[in-house]
Amino acid sequence: MSFKRLDPEDFLVSIDSVTATAWSTNTPVLSTFFTSSTTSTNDSYYKNVYQTASTETSTAVQFAIAYGNKAGSGSANFNDSVPGVSPTRTVYGQYRNLVYGDENAQFIFGAVTASDFWVISVDRARYKEHLLKGTFNLTLTGSGIQTLKLTDNSGMVSTDTYLDCGRVYQIISGSNGVANTSLNANGYSLSSGSYGLFLPDIATIILNPLALSQSINLNPSRSSDSDGFNIARLFTAVSGAASFQVNSEETVTSDFVFVRARNSEFNYSENPSFISGSTGDVIYSTFINSPQTYMTTVGFYNDTNDLLAVAKLSKPLTKDFTKEALLRVKLDF
Amino acid sequence: MGYLNNTAVTVDAILTAKGRELLARGDGSFRITQFALSDDEIDYTLYNPTQPSGSAFFGEAIENMPLLEAFPDENQIMKYKLVTLPRGTARMPVLDIGYSSITIKQGASLAITPQTLNYLSQTALYESSGYTFTISDVRLFNNFNGVGINTPDVQAANQTTTIGTSVSKTVIGTTLNISATTINTLFGGNTSLSATLQVIGRDSGARLQIPVIVTKTS
Repeated sequence: MSFKRLDPEDFLVSIDSVTATAWSTNTPVLSTFFTSSTTSTNDSYYKNVYQTASTETSTAVQFAIAYGNKAGSGSANFNDSVPGVSPTRTVYGQYRNLVYGDENAQFIFGAVTASDFWVISVDRARYKEHLLKGTFNLTLTGSGIQTLKLTDNSGMVSTDTYLDCGRVYQIISGSNGVANTSLNANGYSLSSGSYGLFLPDIATIILNPLALSQSINLNPSRSSDSDGFNIARLFTAVSGAASFQVNSEETVTSDFVFVRARNSEFNYSENPSFISGSTGDVIYSTFINSPQTYMTTVGFYNDTNDLLAVAKLSKPLTKDFTKEALLRVKLDF
Repeated sequence: MGYLNNTAVTVDAILTAKGRELLARGDGSFRITQFALSDDEIDYTLYNPTQPSGSAFFGEAIENMPLLEAFPDENQIMKYKLVTLPRGTARMPVLDIGYSSITIKQGASLAITPQTLNYLSQTALYESSGYTFTISDVRLFNNFNGVGINTPDVQAANQTTTIGTSVSKTVIGTTLNISATTINTLFGGNTSLSATLQVIGRDSGARLQIPVIVTKTS
């Protein structure tokens, strides 16, 4: 017999969480930031940020920056006869729908309600499935030499909070998910609210302008003729500090099959060089009682003996009546 | 096709072309239920039972050889299977189908009934579980049917169809009935078409592969 049936316990489905650096540079911290100088009709809504000059072949979008305002401030109205309806109003409604799933909801940072926000949306290819909580570290520069190190508060909460967009964590002053408690035990001022919301399941970071304004004097413009100004303002704050760290997380499902060759099995071969002549005699007389075979390939079949998948060993594995073999084969398809 | 790094033993599986076809079909036929081991690439003449350094070195020329990556063509891999036979086996089972090659005219029919030699202490016998017949290009035949084994799983397996592509087809039986294609356009400008027929004893694991040529008649 050359086929051996697999038992149910020979199959294993392994589900593992794989984390990695999010950025195309394959480094934990992104320290160089570029935008494209080419103007786009989307500039009023968002601006993509690259890790290299956007003209280089290795360039790739890392994340996008946008600004949203409930009253439509911070950008020109689509139509002067319809005040308050502008790209920033569109962005506000877009993220309100995405985060809360409720057109009457308001953004609440800590316990403070805000009417505007900056948003950093990480590119899909960077975050894979989720952002990894506790790895978010962003440094911003404000006016002068003021800097602020932000992180999520996932290291300080015992129970995750959920919104319509999945898990939500407050953005606080600190690093690696733990607050800098010099200001407050929460890592933010209660009067201005948290620095924003970290939404790992949709790879979105929402920043609270009020808190940033009070901390490092990072203010958005609420003028109606400041199209794109607020996006550039946050870009300058991010690129000036040159330190943005966050890791990606994805669930990888792997199928394993355990192949077991018992001592009495697979000790003879149909290999032509195992046989001498056309009569079927084994090539060496010593092979009659002490045969030795060298397995190189594992073939997986269905009930009708169709060869579905094959696995090659990286070197021959000796098999005889004194040896048993146990191979773990990973099915990568 | 490259060599595998042999500094560590690693085993990663790939789908064969047949496996991809059955996976795409989505009818449950892609279900791994059994395995086999083979020693493709091994030349046992390199094994040296007279090695002066002793028995630990008899197989040294084989044991450290680098191996090639897997071929996705199911007809080019798992050719030589390792088989389970009683200790003391002096002769390996050998298949005999009465042909060293098959040349068949367009539209003609042929029945092939293999025998297994040197198996179960008999000179020749017909294996009770039958034989697996695999043709490398199913388009060459209007009929490619295995008969003689009437278990439900074998009958179900023999009823599967493969349409339109130059992939292999496998049937099971004690006898293989084939009739060559009548489709002229398949030949293009050629006067004959070639494929390989692989026969494997389902009990013994003995294997035979011969060329099959279909010649154009008009």
